[in-house]
Amino acid sequence: MQPSERQQHADLLRENKALRQRNAAAMQYIRRKVDQLLTVMGTSPLRAEELDDNTLIELDPIGIVSDSFVQVLHHLKETNDQLKTAHDEITAIFKSAGMGILVIDRDLRVLAYNRKIQEQFCVTQNVKDSVTCREILCQTVKDENCPARQAIRSGTSVRREMDLAGRRFDMIATPIQDKQGAASQVVLVYMDLTDRIQAQEDLRRSEERYRDLFENATDLIQVLNSDGSIQYVNHAWQEALGYRAEDLVGMSIFDVIHPDCTDCGPEFKSVVCGHKGGRFETLFITKARRTLVVEGNVSPIVENGVFVGTRGIFRDITERKRSETTVAAEREQLAVTLRSIGDGVITTDINARVVLINKVAEHLTGWRQDEAVGRTIQELFPIKDERTGADRVCPVEKVLQTGTPCELEGNAVLVARDGARHLITDSVAPIRDRDSNVSGAVLVFRDVTERKKLENRLIKSEKIESLGVLAGGIAHDFNNLLNSIIANIDIATRLVKPDSDVQQSLQRAQKASTKAKELTQQLLTFSKGGAPVKRLASIADLIRDTADFGARGTNVRCQYDFAPDLWNAEVDEGQISQVIQNLVINAVQAMPQGGTIEIAARNLEFGRMTSPALGPGHYVMITVRDHGHGIPPENLNRIFEPYFTTKSTGSGLGLATTYSIVKKHDGAIDVESSLGNGTIFSLYLPATLAAAAPVERSAAPLPRQEQSGRILVMDDDELVRETAGVLLDLLGYQADFAVDGERALELYQQAQQAGAPFDAVIMDLTIPGGKGGLATIRQLLKIDPQARAIVSSGYSTDAVMANYSQHGFSGIVVKPYTLDELGDELQRVLGKK
Amino acid sequence: METIEIDMRGQLCPATLLVALKEINARASLLRKGAVKLCFLIDNRDATGTIPESASNMGYAVTVAKQPEGWYRIEVAVRT
Repeated sequence: MQPSERQQHADLLRENKALRQRNAAAMQYIRRKVDQLLTVMGTSPLRAEELDDNTLIELDPIGIVSDSFVQVLHHLKETNDQLKTAHDEITAIFKSAGMGILVIDRDLRVLAYNRKIQEQFCVTQNVKDSVTCREILCQTVKDENCPARQAIRSGTSVRREMDLAGRRFDMIATPIQDKQGAASQVVLVYMDLTDRIQAQEDLRRSEERYRDLFENATDLIQVLNSDGSIQYVNHAWQEALGYRAEDLVGMSIFDVIHPDCTDCGPEFKSVVCGHKGGRFETLFITKARRTLVVEGNVSPIVENGVFVGTRGIFRDITERKRSETTVAAEREQLAVTLRSIGDGVITTDINARVVLINKVAEHLTGWRQDEAVGRTIQELFPIKDERTGADRVCPVEKVLQTGTPCELEGNAVLVARDGARHLITDSVAPIRDRDSNVSGAVLVFRDVTERKKLENRLIKSEKIESLGVLAGGIAHDFNNLLNSIIANIDIATRLVKPDSDVQQSLQRAQKASTKAKELTQQLLTFSKGGAPVKRLASIADLIRDTADFGARGTNVRCQYDFAPDLWNAEVDEGQISQVIQNLVINAVQAMPQGGTIEIAARNLEFGRMTSPALGPGHYVMITVRDHGHGIPPENLNRIFEPYFTTKSTGSGLGLATTYSIVKKHDGAIDVESSLGNGTIFSLYLPATLAAAAPVERSAAPLPRQEQSGRILVMDDDELVRETAGVLLDLLGYQADFAVDGERALELYQQAQQAGAPFDAVIMDLTIPGGKGGLATIRQLLKIDPQARAIVSSGYSTDAVMANYSQHGFSGIVVKPYTLDELGDELQRVLGKK
Repeated sequence: METIEIDMRGQLCPATLLVALKEINARASLLRKGAVKLCFLIDNRDATGTIPESASNMGYAVTVAKQPEGWYRIEVAVRT
């Protein structure tokens, strides 16, 4: 081997050794790095015996681990990204959360807080690091009650409601634990409950308000289920229907609908079944079976388009109904009253248009209520002046303007729709509303046509009566004169020879005197003194006898038409006979060409209101109708006046006397006449339903006998006394005289005492200024109960004369009397002895 | 999902871990897509700590199940 070779060999050996050392160092390095990487990966280092160098190189653990690291890094990056997103999310939540979030450490030092905390607790942004939560939030909370401390101690969440800064919070303290499990931080979350509590409180109050409203409502409120069962009713409902809360379980509305309400039942059913809603009236029945009338509204309750029930509110209108009925009845009564009033009543509105018109007003105006309403008062109520015929203004408008009541002046005539005229009086008064404003007028009027007639008749009757007094006075005096004349003619006739020429003169004088006597009798009858001497009589007989007599010897015939059941009447036959005679004579005179007088008699019954001239009761109506020339209208009002006559031969006393007689019989007389057609006189005499007594006829004249006796004549008229003296002497009596009652009684007593008493006393009924016959007879009978007195008067129809015996007189002679009349009466009276 | 079983029973750490990591690296793409999952059969107890720790750090879901025979199934799959 060459040195060079040796050298080369040695070099190679050195080089090999160096290379081996270098390789071993490299392997050493690789093994160290592999172990480091394996440790990082969390596993144990390689053991030398586990892998030889070649296997190690072949396995390439560094390559494996570095590949794994790539994946670890990739995963870490992903994880970091996720963490960042999560962090951002948490930050966003933290900032924007609607609740306050505060993070503190275990020493309560504030680490972080969000904006809500700032708002809730007025925390400034720059809170120093060392500031604790106690300082900024809850200074007043005691340590042992601090939820943060409790959370730190317990390591679990603590929840509590707290009052902080004047508000109520729901507070949760959640500890954040470190790796050792110790609470290193606490997250405090504050949810503000104040508004929610307030809202709940508001809701509660609102509910309470509604409940109060419902429970204290006076109306009946109900909520029903769809089948009509009761879900809710208020207190008023229970009260009104008499049910308690416990009664309502299982009850249905159909338990309270009145079974009698056949109409409202189906109606109500259709509502509770949801078919319809609305307002209606129905009848409920209470637990105590009392009926209530209710009015109300029911409406369906619909939830999500499904009918689930009804709600209803009702009002008890039972009382209102009752009062409505009462008011209606009162209104009806008022209307009936108004329509029944005897006066015409018209009410108008403020425009003088008719609102109401009663029955009488309908009758007088000729407008019916339905036609009249809405028309003006001028149209309905035209009035004219009775005398001038000029239009007059109805005072309604004036009253509406002035508001003061007003009366229509007299002589107003209402012209009815058919032209009929009614003399009226009226008064108008304003109608005022509650505020005293004039809202209309009421016109009350009355037909006074009949009253006016009656007034006229009264005036006429007063006139006639005053004339009667005058006539009576004259007749009385005249009668006394006539008494003397007639008696003296009588005496003279007896003193003169029958064939003497003087007899004729005396007979003419006697005839004239007789006519004069009849005249004075008529005057006396007409005058005050002629009270009728009534007896129950048959009117038919009386009329027939008298009328036939009156028409005798004329070309006029009487035709009678009497009701078959004609009532009788209590009348003075003489007077009524005179009445009939007067009427018949007038009728005969009205028909100079002859004809028929129709005389009829009917029964009439007057109620209270049917005749203003006569009282209510039974009457006999006698009509005397002629077909003569009639009475001119201007005379018609005067025919009953005394001395009013259109006849050349008439006395003017016939109808005046007739009027007077009828009046004194409590009757009435009316006349209707039309020129050329005749006249009807209508007499009304009070009837008696009893049968008439047979007429008592006066006894036949007694045969003349020679008389004797003492007679006392009492009369204030000297002429009468003298004449009586002559007549008594002629009759054979011895006469004595007294001027008045006092003197007569004196003489009577003297004669008694002297033993030569008077057999009879003839007394004048009336002694002016002295004791008259009536007063004297009373005293005379006291002195001598057997005394006989004959009353003498011109008033043949005087009540005393008519009923002389009742007053104590034994007989009667009517002045002027003849010798025979006096003789007969004395003979009759003395004959009774 | 395909399951690939790798039987490493009888091997010791850290070789077990390196083999497991090598298998995971080799199929990283399929594993992440969820196409396969790896199932390591091991009887080395230490490996039940190292393999899951490493696979978890690499972002995989790992389950360890002890078998009655005394060995372990360690499944590595994508995280859901």
